Amino acid sequence: MIYAGIDIGSITAKAALIKDDHLLDTIVIPTGYHHLNAGIRVFDTLLQQAGLDRQDISAVVSTGYGRASIDFADKAMTEILCHGAGAHFLHPGIRGIIDVGGQDSKAVLLDDQGRVENFAMNDKCAAGTGRFLEVMARALEVELDQMGKVGLQADNPSKISSICTVFAESEVISMIARQEKRENIIAGIHDAAAARVAILAAKIRIRGPIMMTGGVAKNSGMAAALEERLKMPLVIGSLSQETGAIGAAVLASGLQL
Amino acid sequence: MKEIDRFHAAVNDSRATALNIHRAGRKTIGYLCSYAPEEIIHAAGFHPMRLFSSKHEIILAENHLQSYCCSLVRGILEDSLAGRLDFLDGTVFPHTCDSMQRLSDIWRMNGKYRFFVDLVLPAKLNTKSAAIYMEKVLARFKEDLEAASGKKITDTDLSDAIVLCNRIRKHLFFVYEWNFRHPGVIRGADLYALVKGAMIMDKKEAADLLAGVVSSLEQSAPPAGKAKRLILSGSVCDTPDIFDAVEKAGGAIVGDDLCTGRRWFDGLVAEDAPPLSGIAQRYGNRMTCPAKHAGLTARADTLVSLVREHKADGVAFLLLKFCDPHAFDYPYLKQALDKQGIKSMAFEMDDQQSSHGQFSTRMETFIHML
Repeated sequence: MIYAGIDIGSITAKAALIKDDHLLDTIVIPTGYHHLNAGIRVFDTLLQQAGLDRQDISAVVSTGYGRASIDFADKAMTEILCHGAGAHFLHPGIRGIIDVGGQDSKAVLLDDQGRVENFAMNDKCAAGTGRFLEVMARALEVELDQMGKVGLQADNPSKISSICTVFAESEVISMIARQEKRENIIAGIHDAAAARVAILAAKIRIRGPIMMTGGVAKNSGMAAALEERLKMPLVIGSLSQETGAIGAAVLASGLQL
Repeated sequence: MKEIDRFHAAVNDSRATALNIHRAGRKTIGYLCSYAPEEIIHAAGFHPMRLFSSKHEIILAENHLQSYCCSLVRGILEDSLAGRLDFLDGTVFPHTCDSMQRLSDIWRMNGKYRFFVDLVLPAKLNTKSAAIYMEKVLARFKEDLEAASGKKITDTDLSDAIVLCNRIRKHLFFVYEWNFRHPGVIRGADLYALVKGAMIMDKKEAADLLAGVVSSLEQSAPPAGKAKRLILSGSVCDTPDIFDAVEKAGGAIVGDDLCTGRRWFDGLVAEDAPPLSGIAQRYGNRMTCPAKHAGLTARADTLVSLVREHKADGVAFLLLKFCDPHAFDYPYLKQALDKQGIKSMAFEMDDQQSSHGQFSTRMETFIHML
């Protein structure tokens, strides 16, 4: 039996297929404006990539910010539950998750079965999310995927005091005007964002081992800043961005249809 | 139930409701929290109407109250400054939280309404001396109302008002109990419209309509549901979408300690006691809000017993952002629930809340955890 998970995030859409408890395939595409279209596109492209048809899929679970728009899914489940299931599937020992996505950041506590025990989530504010890093990358004229690497070269990280994305951006612009080193500013940005996420982790008294998921896990500078704040190493797999979609496929396999 | 439409209509247009009541001969006195003694206002020949924010954008109130004041207080001030409450003849401010007190000052200084009273209630309501003091506060309030109306309030006026308000309380209590026994028999949005409507519409009309709701419910077929049973805890929840989101996520609201819910109609005024002592006593016995004190663990004890009595699966704290009294109480309440193995989660919200995506994600996950 093959099961599918579709994760419609604010920036990227992800899909995953699992068969007999093994991961078959995954895919990531940009979400765009239309959630349902993104869902259809990501699902069909993945099926094509895997050489499968829709009839081959026993059940589909949708998740993420746009989960409710996916009308062909058998069930919509929150990304918190799906990241929990996905992290447990990929690494059964995981007890904590830090998920930093495009517009949300979350800290999740798992029990030994991968069930969510507690969670905390950012408010309606972009501080400590992927969007925050995107805004800063633009202000600093650095490619988003280079930000991590550049930040790790800092010799004296700057201090960003504003927690609001808009204020922090103007703070960064004054730093640019003062000709502070780009590496240092970026390291400061990572630390400011990590500080916000660490508050969520402290709220739920997170336990290790902790997996970092979501698109921002690809940013090595942010991950290092988080490890520093949490005083713990983070497990970051190559499928960090797809963890929610994988979890959705895992939960689809457990549906009683 | 056709009666529910009348409650929704009153809730959706409190101004029209007040103007109709005015035409029928009663002027309206607004109040902002459930410590306002409606019985005395009604006995004086006025219509007591609870004020809620109409959720317009905050522009004028920005000059008086900073953004760290709760959205309820800011929203109501905005309505007043913008002239949307010009149907009021007066207002009464019971002494509760700091923001309410500041609002009261600003209100008086920008005075638009003829009648204004601060009710300086005791901080503890359940001691012997507090009851004596409270009765004096109520007696003074009665005199203020008499001066405003030019008419003496007799004990019979008070007794009639007490009986009327008790009728509303008994009916609402029945609706709550029925809903707790048969979760889903009434939508959350309807349930809270009944309570809110009863705070807004004419008291007699509310009591009569609620009697109709009670008899319709008694004849209704209880739905078979397997929703997770939730208790809501907090201050004001004036966003009906929230109740829909709870139900959509697989939850059923089986009880609450909200100021816009059970706390407002909790307990009856003894009808055989001297009227003012009866009213004072009800406040002493009623479930308290965190701006008052009834013992170090009183609120936690009430909450735990609400959960037990209503066989609830969990508690959702609905906390209005920047509401200090509730925010201070939350950690100890959560700890008390944890100790009893009762799952809970805090949901911070705005009175003007319009984005429900994150709320739904949190609520769905929480209900899944139960």
